[in-house]
Amino acid sequence: MAEPILEVRGLVKHYPLTSGILFKKQVGAVKAVDGVDFDLARGETLGIVGESGCGKSTVAKMLVNLERPTAGEIRYKGEDITRLSGRALKTVRRNIQMVFQDPYTSLNPRMTVGDIIGEAYDIHPEAAPKGDRRGRVRDLLDVVGLNPEYINRYPHQFSGGQRQRIGIARGLALRPEIIVADEPVSALDVSVQAQVINLMGRLQSEFDLSYIFIAHDLSIVRHISDRVGVMYLGRIVETGRDAEIYDHPTHPYTQALLSAVPVPDPEAREHRERIILAGDVPSPTNIPSGCRFRTRCWKARERCALEVPALAVPAEFRSVSGPAAHDSACHFAEEMRVVPPEDAGPPAPPAPPGSRGSHGPRSARGPHGAHREDGGGA
Amino acid sequence: MLLEVRDLHVEFHTRDGVAKAVNGVSYGVDAGETLAVLGESGSGKSVTAQTVMGILDVPPGRITSGEILFEGRDLLKLKEEERRKVRGAEMAMIFQDALSSLNPVLTVGAQLAEMFTVHRGMSRKDAQAKAVELMDRVRIPAARERVKQYPHQFSGGMRQRIMIAMAMALEPKLIIADEPTTALDVTVQAQVMDLLAELQRELNMGLILITHDLGVVADVADKIAVMYAGRIVETAPVHDIYKAPAHPYTRGLLDSIPRLDQKGQELYAIKGLPPNLTRIPPGCAFHPRCPMAQDVCRTDVPPLYEVTESDAERGSACHFWRECLHG
Repeated sequence: MAEPILEVRGLVKHYPLTSGILFKKQVGAVKAVDGVDFDLARGETLGIVGESGCGKSTVAKMLVNLERPTAGEIRYKGEDITRLSGRALKTVRRNIQMVFQDPYTSLNPRMTVGDIIGEAYDIHPEAAPKGDRRGRVRDLLDVVGLNPEYINRYPHQFSGGQRQRIGIARGLALRPEIIVADEPVSALDVSVQAQVINLMGRLQSEFDLSYIFIAHDLSIVRHISDRVGVMYLGRIVETGRDAEIYDHPTHPYTQALLSAVPVPDPEAREHRERIILAGDVPSPTNIPSGCRFRTRCWKARERCALEVPALAVPAEFRSVSGPAAHDSACHFAEEMRVVPPEDAGPPAPPAPPGSRGSHGPRSARGPHGAHREDGGGA
Repeated sequence: MLLEVRDLHVEFHTRDGVAKAVNGVSYGVDAGETLAVLGESGSGKSVTAQTVMGILDVPPGRITSGEILFEGRDLLKLKEEERRKVRGAEMAMIFQDALSSLNPVLTVGAQLAEMFTVHRGMSRKDAQAKAVELMDRVRIPAARERVKQYPHQFSGGMRQRIMIAMAMALEPKLIIADEPTTALDVTVQAQVMDLLAELQRELNMGLILITHDLGVVADVADKIAVMYAGRIVETAPVHDIYKAPAHPYTRGLLDSIPRLDQKGQELYAIKGLPPNLTRIPPGCAFHPRCPMAQDVCRTDVPPLYEVTESDAERGSACHFWRECLHG
C-alpha cells in the first residue's frame, strides 16, 4: 500500500456511567469503540460497515475531533492529532472534513446556502481571501451540480438530494484531503442515492480525496470502497479488499451480515440460504468475554469465551496466498461464499486445505447453523 | 379477490394548493398472496394504505372517488362504527416505527390484551394470558416476564415483533405492512421478515407490503405494483418485472442498484427529482425524468396498458412499454 495518510491505532471511546449526585462514582462504561485500528491511503476509499450501535459513527466523530478518544492514536501524516490543540489542531481539522447523514438537520435553517458553505472561510480565513469567497462558493455549488444562482436560498427550498449536495459542498470548501462521510445517502430516496454516489466518486478523482465511507448498506459500500472494515460492538472484526470481504468472508459475523442482505433478484430466493442470527447485539456496557460475537455465533466453543481473537490473518490461511488470506478476528475462521455469484459465475471455491473442520462451506449455512451439534452453545 | 382497490383518488388541501397524493390507484390482493407496493417518498403508497385501513386524516385528506372492496363490501360506504369492527379484526396494519406506534406508558402486555378485551369481550385475566401466548408466538424470549415491560425496554427488532403480534392478535385476513423493516438493521430485518412470512403462510393471510427496497420485494413478494406520483405505473408478477421491466421508471430503479460488474463506474441514475404533488407534470408524470420521452408523453396521460406480450397479467402506464420491454 502507498504511504498511509491516516493511521488509526488502538482507538477507544468509553462513555462513563456514573451513579450518585454529590459524589459521582463511575459504575461502568459504555464501550462504544473498544480498540480500532486501520490505515487509509491517499486517494483511497475505506468503507466501514456495521449495524446500529457498533460504534462506526463514534469512530467518525473522533476522526474529525468532535469526540476525544479515551485512548489510542489517530496519526495524520505521521502526527498524532488526538493530542493537538489550538492552532495546530485547527490546521489539521482543515484537512479532515465531514459529511453528515441527515441533510435535514445538519444544515442551519436560518442561514442561506452561501453562508452555510462560506462559514468555513470565517474560521479559516487563510483558505480564501475575503473578496473572493462568494465566487468560491459559487464554484463549489457548480462542482456539486447545483445552480450557482441558488446561493441566496435557504435549505428548506431544496430537496433531500440537493441538500446533501450542499453538505458535500461545505465539506469541500476548505479543500480537505480526507472526507469522513457518515451514512451520506441513507436518508435519500433510491433514485437520488445513485446521483449522490456518482457525485462523490467524481469529486474523489477531481480533488484527489481520501474517503472514510460509513454506511450500513453493504452494496453501496462495495460499489464505492477499495477496502472494507466490518465492525461489531466497538471493534473491527474483519477487514480486507472489497472482493476479499464480499466474496471470501472468513468471519462468521460478516457471513451472517452478507447473507441477510436482500438480493434484488427473485430468482435467487429459492436457492439461497440465509444465516439468521439468534438474538440481539449485546449491550456495549457489558461486552461478552473473549470474542464479543460468541453469544450469537453458531461456531462458538469454549476457547471463544476465554481468548480474545486478534485481528490478523488467521493461522490456517497464512500459508496460502489468495483472497481468503486477510485479517479476520475469529478463532475458527473459514471461508464461505454467501453472496451468490452474478450470472452463474464460478461456483463457490472449496475450503482451502488446512481449514478447520470437515464440513464444507455449505454445512454451516442456514438457520440450523446455530444449533449444530458440534458447535452449538456459547 | 380478498381486497380490491378501484380507481382511488385522494387529495390533500395544503397552503400551497391541492396535493394530489393518489390519482386513480387500482390493485388487488388474494388470501395467502403478497403484493408489494414499491415507490419512493411521496409516491402515494402509504396514503393508499391508510385509506384502505380507514386511518387517513380527513381533513386535510379527502377521498374524492373510488371503491375499496373487502370481500365484496365497499369499505368507503360503511359507517365509522362498522368500519371499526373491520379494522383490527379483519385487517390490521404494521407500521415502520414501532416505538412511536406503541403507547410508552402502558406495558406491552396491556396493549396486546386490549385487542381481546375490546374486540372479543374477554376478561382481563384471559386477555393477559392471550398476550403471553402471542408474544411466544412471535418468539420473544421469556414472554411471561417481558409481558410486564414497557416498549422502551425492548430492542427495535423485539418492538417490531410486538407490532406483528398485535396485528396478528385477532387473526385478520389482511395485513398491511408499511415499511416494516426499514428502521431495522439487516440481520434483524431478516429475522422479522422471516417471521412475518411464516405467520402469513400459517394463517393464509393476504399481505400488502409497502416498501422502497427492491431487495426486500424480490425476497417475499408474489406480485408488485410500482407507484410514481400517485399512480401505479407498472404492475406484474415479481419474476417478470425483474427480468424485463415494462416501464422506464422501474427500469431506472433496477438499473441504479450497484452491480458487481460495474464497480468503479458511474451508477445509472434517474435524472432530476420526483415531482411536487401540487404541480404534477401534464401528460405522463414521469416524462421530465424519462430517457424515452416523446412529444406524446408531454400531452397524453398514458393509461395502464395491458402488456400483451406476457403470459402473466401485466400492466404498464407507458406509451412506449413495448420499446421499454425489449430495450
